Amino acid sequence: MKKFLVLFTLFVFGLVLMGCNGGEAEGKIEIEFWHMSPVGSESYSGMRAIITQFNESQEDYFVKGKGFSFWDYWDKINVAVSSKTAPDIGLSTIDDVVSRARAGVLFNISELIESDDSGYLQIELDEFRQSQLDFATFEGDLFAMPFTATTRALFYNMDMFLELGLTEEDVPETWSELKTVAKMFDIVDDGTIERLGFDPSYGDATYHGWLWQKGLDFFDEELNPTLNTQGHIDVLNWIIDFNDDLSRSQLTSFGEANQLLGLNPFAAEKVAMIIGNDGLYQTIINAGADFSYGVAPIPIPDEDGIRVNWGSGFSIEMYDNKKNDNDRLNGAFMFYKYLLSKEVQIELSEVNGWILSHISAMEEFVEGKPIMQLLLEEVNYAVDKVYVPYAPSWHGNDWQPYYTQALDRSLTPEAALLQARNHYLEKQQNYNTVN
Amino acid sequence: MKASSIQQLKKQENFMGYLFAFPWLFGLIVLGAFPILASFFISFTNYDMNQAPRWIGIKNYVILFSNDSIFWKSLGNTVYHVAIAIPLGLMVGLALALLLNNKIKGMSIYRTLFYLPNVVSIVAMSLLWLWLFQPSFGVINELLSPFYKLFDMEPLRWHQAASTAKLTLILMGLWTAGGSMVIYLAQMQDIPISLYESAEVDGANWFKKTLYITLPLMTPSIFFNFIMGIIGGFQVFTIAYIMTGGGPSRSTYYYAYYLFDKMMSDRAMGMASAMAWILLVIVLIITIIALRLNKYVVYLGEES
Amino acid sequence: MKKLLLNRKQSNRIKAIVLHIVLIVSSFGFVFPFLWMLFTALKTPQELLQGTSVFFPKDPQWSNFIQAVRSIPFLLYLKNSLIIVILVMIGTLFSATTAAYAFAKLRWKGRDKWFIVMLATMMIPIQVILIPTYIMYSLIGWLGTRLPLIVPAFFGGGAAFYIFLLRQFYKGIPKELSESAIIDGATHIQIFVKIMLPLTKPAIITVALFTFMATWNDYFGPLIFLSNPDHWTLAIGLRAFQTQFGGRFDLMMAASILIMLPTLIIFFLAQKSFIEGITFTGIKG
Repeated sequence: MKKFLVLFTLFVFGLVLMGCNGGEAEGKIEIEFWHMSPVGSESYSGMRAIITQFNESQEDYFVKGKGFSFWDYWDKINVAVSSKTAPDIGLSTIDDVVSRARAGVLFNISELIESDDSGYLQIELDEFRQSQLDFATFEGDLFAMPFTATTRALFYNMDMFLELGLTEEDVPETWSELKTVAKMFDIVDDGTIERLGFDPSYGDATYHGWLWQKGLDFFDEELNPTLNTQGHIDVLNWIIDFNDDLSRSQLTSFGEANQLLGLNPFAAEKVAMIIGNDGLYQTIINAGADFSYGVAPIPIPDEDGIRVNWGSGFSIEMYDNKKNDNDRLNGAFMFYKYLLSKEVQIELSEVNGWILSHISAMEEFVEGKPIMQLLLEEVNYAVDKVYVPYAPSWHGNDWQPYYTQALDRSLTPEAALLQARNHYLEKQQNYNTVN
Repeated sequence: MKASSIQQLKKQENFMGYLFAFPWLFGLIVLGAFPILASFFISFTNYDMNQAPRWIGIKNYVILFSNDSIFWKSLGNTVYHVAIAIPLGLMVGLALALLLNNKIKGMSIYRTLFYLPNVVSIVAMSLLWLWLFQPSFGVINELLSPFYKLFDMEPLRWHQAASTAKLTLILMGLWTAGGSMVIYLAQMQDIPISLYESAEVDGANWFKKTLYITLPLMTPSIFFNFIMGIIGGFQVFTIAYIMTGGGPSRSTYYYAYYLFDKMMSDRAMGMASAMAWILLVIVLIITIIALRLNKYVVYLGEES
Repeated sequence: MKKLLLNRKQSNRIKAIVLHIVLIVSSFGFVFPFLWMLFTALKTPQELLQGTSVFFPKDPQWSNFIQAVRSIPFLLYLKNSLIIVILVMIGTLFSATTAAYAFAKLRWKGRDKWFIVMLATMMIPIQVILIPTYIMYSLIGWLGTRLPLIVPAFFGGGAAFYIFLLRQFYKGIPKELSESAIIDGATHIQIFVKIMLPLTKPAIITVALFTFMATWNDYFGPLIFLSNPDHWTLAIGLRAFQTQFGGRFDLMMAASILIMLPTLIIFFLAQKSFIEGITFTGIKG
């Protein structure tokens, strides 16, 4: 028994030593940067290289990057920010920068730019779209910078089109064309779906994305919940009934089989068309897929359709943990400028496959990449969602329970929308009571 | 240091008592009593950890009770869970213990096997059962497919259907019945064999022996498992967090999960504290009722 | 008379056989999930799609385990789990044995009342304590560290059950031992260290084992208090694995098995202590 204990203690000691990785950052000021490329992800080594490149050019500062998977990232950053354990630099959503600015957890970027006399790089403000800069502005000053210019479009499998004798001309432009064309691609073998043409709930499509195309939304201008018009019901019905020739269990099995294989349905050639954001471009490459595909604007409603897509852009922010460490702030700002510089923005796109916010960087990046060019074009029609103080996660946790019930038909669309609306009203009332 | 009189001895022992108990006592006050009181006061404020707490009186409680449908939903989910999981768990644990309380070869092997699931982390267990219960590809539905065909029904969707999700989680919980089983076994071993022998002389069979000797003498451990079960059951959270995210349609959105979201997502510390105190009161009431019933239910074995 | 006895013997044998069958079937039911977990970890995703028609993996994918280790900072999480578990074990043993000794062997004012209070603490839902301690740690800057998970152990945090268990043990030690030691001039501290601790080794081992299990498997504590990913434990790592590889049950089972291994190994090595440790509690209400 004693021998075991001794061996065990030595083993533990060894592990502890192994885990200690001192030496890398000797004497340098450590800067912490959180991103979405965790160890084991495709973009991990690329992000690491970008960070290392900065570190090697620096005498005084050392940036430590930490990656989280996309789903994890949001919980972690929000918790960290409000418990004052946030990183020096991190990504967030651009649509609610104002809430963080108001809470005083962000550094004032405008002030940093103004007082910057380091001569190291410069943030070229005219390289960023005003619409994005507006989102990042609070009381006249910038409190964040736009980092990505996400957009959504219709991805279609060209090979499948050609197989059926269709061409680029046949790519649907309206909702009814979408349905007609999609149905041509369905393959059902012995009760199991082998291939689906399209589904409005797949990929990066969202209910509010479809609503916006009809000029509708979840909230009105005073941020009161809507969801109570026939138009809302119609759109929801359209989504639910799109594949109503197939049973719910068939569709669910189909979805689960894809999940089990860990593949994106479009990249795995299980669906002919899908709404995807610009990140799908990289996902397809990472999946090693070699079919030819194209990108087109998302089909719009037949009548009064508006060409608009949800641009859920990320922001890049510097968090104020109230530590009053000026050296650290300076170092962080240097890395901040580095990440927003043209060359690095191009590199970041190469690594992540995202469309970043730097305009001329992206124009250079998309040269020779026709898909990316089309996506960049769609950015012009991308709109970000409104921040609702009493329901920050209105399209997420608040909406999903009702949406999934409507989708699997355990609630009628009317009931789902009614319940959702009541939920938002409740939240609005309670928010006003305590604030 | 030799004590020279009884007085000194007593004083010294008194001091020593406090000295030894000090670490625990300190923890009790600083990490126990103080926080409990603090959370009471915080529940009357609006505090998001960014600005100072703002006093709002009983508004948090009013909102919870009168204008928060999710409060009631989550509370209902939790009560459902406790009401079914606890009795079921008690029965399964007892059954296992009764099975094992026979002198047979390999008893300790069986005991180990039944206890094994309790060794596993709750995250690993949740992931495992997520896979076992997978409606389209999991083992459980595969094994049940003859039944489904026989009764011409759609395979159950377990944790993916609002109607069966809570039950699924409860069923999964039964896998860890070995935990209570071990406590029952311990108590069973204390029962004097002479009682059984004299019953056998009177012609009692296994059923009668169990009903009139074993079970009554087991009431202390049954009671213990019941109380601990209730207290733990009201805090059910992790299995839903890992397996269902509170869904489908908030059917597994338990009270502790809602509290967690209020605390970690909304950063509404005041509201979360109010919820915590409501939970405390509920648990206290149930415990007090149970302790009162203790007198009537628990047989302490001294009056035979 | 002979006839009756024969029937008795026969019926006993039948009972034994039935019992064995029931036990074998039910214990198999309890253990089968573990087996299925292992098989799943060794299959390919395509094999998973075919369910039980592919019972054993055709070509065991041991590489799944390697991928599991490579896909998250496994060694870092392992290191963190070990650091936290070992320190919590030390802290718990320290504060639980001292408190139990005080309750069992020493007479001090209010002792029995404090004991009842201690029992009562087992009934407090953790949420009531959680929020203020979280805020407190935030204010003193401990949230970026492992301290919120380690320090409470040194002050009896979560040790009520263990204190109870150890107290029973101490009570079982005849008071003549400590009395004669006092006459010889020993201090209470000396008695505690030189007499009590050695004599209660079985209980101490039990408490150590239970603490190891509970802390190694703890997810809730790290979820709330470890905001710095450098400090994440394996339990959180497993969850991070889930969010990264959601549908890939083959990989998730592999990762789960890896994380379960230490507890399984220790459990098998120390079964006796484990299960009999609960026996000694002698739950008599």
